[in-house]
Amino acid sequence: MNDTSAQPTRRIPITGYFARIFTGFVSLLKGLKITFHYLSHPSTVVTQQYPENRATLKMAERLRAQLTMIHDDNGYHKCTACHICEQACPNASIHVAERAKPALSKTELDTFIWRLDSCTFCNLCVMVCPFQVLQMKSTFESSVYDQRLLIYNLSRYAGPTSTVLAKQADDEARKNAVEPRSVYDGPTALNGFFLAGIPKELLVTLDRKGEV
Amino acid sequence: MFNSLPNLQVSWEVISVSQRVSTTYGESPILAVVYALAAIVAIILFMSLTAMTLVYTERKVAAHFQCRLGPMRVGWHGILQSIADTLKLLLKEDIVPDQADKAMHLFAPVLCVLAALLALIAIPFSPYLAVSDMNIGVLFISAVSGLGVLGILLGGWSSNNKWSLLGAMRAGAQIISYELSATLSILVVVMFSGSMKFSEIVQSQDQGWWIWRAPVVGLVAFLIFLVASTAEINRTPFDLAEGESELTAGFHTEYSGMRFAFFFLAEYLNLFIVSSMGATLFLGGWMPLHIGNLTFFNQVMDLIPPGLWFALKVSGFIFLSMWFRWTFPRLRVDQLMKLEWKVLLPIGFINLLLAAILTLSGFYFFPGNS
Ligand code: SF4
Ligand code: SF4
Repeated sequence: MNDTSAQPTRRIPITGYFARIFTGFVSLLKGLKITFHYLSHPSTVVTQQYPENRATLKMAERLRAQLTMIHDDNGYHKCTACHICEQACPNASIHVAERAKPALSKTELDTFIWRLDSCTFCNLCVMVCPFQVLQMKSTFESSVYDQRLLIYNLSRYAGPTSTVLAKQADDEARKNAVEPRSVYDGPTALNGFFLAGIPKELLVTLDRKGEV
Repeated sequence: MFNSLPNLQVSWEVISVSQRVSTTYGESPILAVVYALAAIVAIILFMSLTAMTLVYTERKVAAHFQCRLGPMRVGWHGILQSIADTLKLLLKEDIVPDQADKAMHLFAPVLCVLAALLALIAIPFSPYLAVSDMNIGVLFISAVSGLGVLGILLGGWSSNNKWSLLGAMRAGAQIISYELSATLSILVVVMFSGSMKFSEIVQSQDQGWWIWRAPVVGLVAFLIFLVASTAEINRTPFDLAEGESELTAGFHTEYSGMRFAFFFLAEYLNLFIVSSMGATLFLGGWMPLHIGNLTFFNQVMDLIPPGLWFALKVSGFIFLSMWFRWTFPRLRVDQLMKLEWKVLLPIGFINLLLAAILTLSGFYFFPGNS
């Protein structure tokens, strides 16, 4: 069918006319067969009955719905506060706040601020991080009634990386080098980072209990 | 000329609603009026219920064709979805564009429904259930359903919107073209059965349906009718009048609320009408399926009431139409015209010629018992 229509100047012989009708007919039947297969096999349905199946809902691994920071079993991360992700972000959705007085390294992460409300989930930050600190998760139920609650702090403590901490003599020394900065620990220090449209006073008292 | 035609076995006593009204009128005029009013209410109820059921079915079937579930929230498996949608359409604000031709804008959807409603008059639902069994039934439906395109053209014109007008013009060109093929294929059956009266056409299929009783030409006519009728009611793959990818919604771009609902109603009524036409002409209408001399089989088939037979055949036809709609991609305008003028019409003419020869020579299947 295609080879004859590609040469418009050539006259189609009468057999070609019927052959085209026939092949067209056959291909239509093939299409009908495929759709009928879908109709007669309800198992091919891909729709999820959310929220009824919320308990058993399985999202695809590759779904990018929330940025998270990987913390190891001891609760330590590998972020060196190098700002590469911050610079890679096309929407300025990331702010890496350094610790004012680093304990062990030259630079140490204080808070890792990520704004879900302006993030496009492009995955660039995850890809550029030299230490594979960031990860996209498929937890998608992020809606809240207040836009400010979409500003997350991803780091659970302020302090050096897990590699530096591992070199410390004992747990006591490690404990002295870090201070908790968790989303579960009350207001997130934003270090004067300006957020468009949100007064600073509000940011300081931002309570994100129960989020993330 | 038609002396080779079979003598119809009048085993079914056909009586239409209009006949009944006129016979009652002789005895008691008031009863006749009540009777007629009841019939009108029944038709209106039937019309809205059919449309609602068809919309729901279409959404469900379409969803499953596309690996989806369709409406699931209102009632069991979304069974009440159409009622909710109807209520929504009824309560919606009636928006008319500022520059529109107000009167025409209102009249267009009404005309569409009117055309569909008029066509419903001649549909033979069962031997005892047809509003009117006129002797030119086939001609009447062909003529009246052509009126619907006027509604579409008016709607597109009065909206004063380029998309609407383009859609309407396309619909006009399309329907006028495809009406030729549809009529040519209908003529084949009219020739074989020797009548334009629906009850006689149905009764002529006592021994077998015209789709196979007329050798080959019946099948070809059926296929042509299938394509042409799908095009006539503007359904995908021939929905160029709407063409949402290039014309937003075509002729009903500027319609919302009740006015849109009327177009929608007309669309689904037309689907029903075309399907009943196809079922009546080619698949025996309300006539039960009879196979040759298998007396026992034929008797079992006779147990199923004719109304149910009609419903089953029409549902089959409608399902086929939905199957097409959710499988085939839309044609381009030039492809559409090519299909009609270069493929369907020539084949239709040759087919009609062959059918004429076959009719005159009395050569078709199962002529013996009739
Ligand atoms: S996913 Fe893209 S937009 Fe979102 S924080 Fe990372 S780099 Fe920025
Ligand atoms: S998350 Fe990675 S890229 Fe971003 S500051 Fe930390 S180490 Fe650097």
